[in-house]
Amino acid sequence: MGEILKITLNLVLICAAAGVILSATWAMTDPVRVAKEAQEREQALKALIPDAESIKPVKDVKIADKDGIIYRADKAGRPLGYVVLSYGRGYASFIRVLVAVDLTGKVTGIDILGHGETPGLGDQIDQSWFKDRFKGKVLEGLVVVKTESTREIQAISGATISSRGVTRAVKDAVEILKAEREKGI
Amino acid sequence: MSEPKHSYKKLILNGIFSENPVFRLALSLCPAVAVTTSVKNGFLMGAAVLFVMTMVNITVSLLRSFINPKVRIPAYILIIATYVSITDMVMAAYSRAAYKEMGLYIQLIVVFAIIISRAELFASRNKVVPSAVDGIGMGLGFLGALVLVGAVRELIGKGSLVGIQILGKDPLLIAVLPTGGFFAIGLLMGLFNWIDMKYFGGKPDSGGGHH
Repeated sequence: MGEILKITLNLVLICAAAGVILSATWAMTDPVRVAKEAQEREQALKALIPDAESIKPVKDVKIADKDGIIYRADKAGRPLGYVVLSYGRGYASFIRVLVAVDLTGKVTGIDILGHGETPGLGDQIDQSWFKDRFKGKVLEGLVVVKTESTREIQAISGATISSRGVTRAVKDAVEILKAEREKGI
Repeated sequence: MSEPKHSYKKLILNGIFSENPVFRLALSLCPAVAVTTSVKNGFLMGAAVLFVMTMVNITVSLLRSFINPKVRIPAYILIIATYVSITDMVMAAYSRAAYKEMGLYIQLIVVFAIIISRAELFASRNKVVPSAVDGIGMGLGFLGALVLVGAVRELIGKGSLVGIQILGKDPLLIAVLPTGGFFAIGLLMGLFNWIDMKYFGGKPDSGGGHH
């Protein structure tokens, strides 16, 4: 009986020490992480619509069961375009995408905020040559094809499912934005 | 391996060559296949492992008389998980660029067989400094192996090295797929054994069966 108590106490002490160290580290680092993530999102939004004087969230929406946000970019009190924080299911993760859409419903650019796709294959969705494939696309062009195409989205070889995940996120963003604008935002 | 005196140079070389974690001990092959699609990925993973393994070895060695042998495995896993979480949190806050590249891998380190194996076989039986040196040696061996496998796969699979195009575009895509990882590691392991037998007179079965 004494033996089992000693062993338990031993492990409890180690757990307690680990807990203290981890909570101290978390308390020190988490505010910094949250602040930097917000700053990064702000920069990503600005880079997508550089002419905007302000980019403000106007509506929370559900995309792929996750919390998406519609931002409106304004200049001199008039809207320039919209940015949607959207999600798409990729090969191994949900891909977080910022989609910039102009007033006519055309995609003007996208940015990948975060993903957990396969290193070396799926993570190429974050390369600018892939993100540029979405520029100038309208709803009809947001389809993944495996052949060379400028009208549709050409898949990354070896990462078709990740390519589809991003395209899904962009397409949902454009559709939801269209529906919300008809309701008025 | 549990003699009290250790030559530090021998300990380092032991980790890099005669007991190379990937090529000789065949430990932690899962991450070695999963992340070595390029030199950069291999290097980042190896560097994270080098850090965690050295810190874990030091801590286990310091606590070796405190940890009750009957709960040593959970204790080691706790220590490893603590260091991995600290690394993850600190990088997420203070080095965003590197975290964007490495965040996918860091949490995987908790379950690396090579780290718990060194804690059990070396750090729990040796003083702090040799344990730290053993961690550095093993970490360097792991890092080197991942960079080597990454170089082979990146060159054959994407025609580039460290991101710089050398051959044409995508010569043989299979090399960066998981299948290619097995090919690359198998061939390099064979090469390692062949060199060892030919020049150092090592026996091919000295690796692998690691208790």
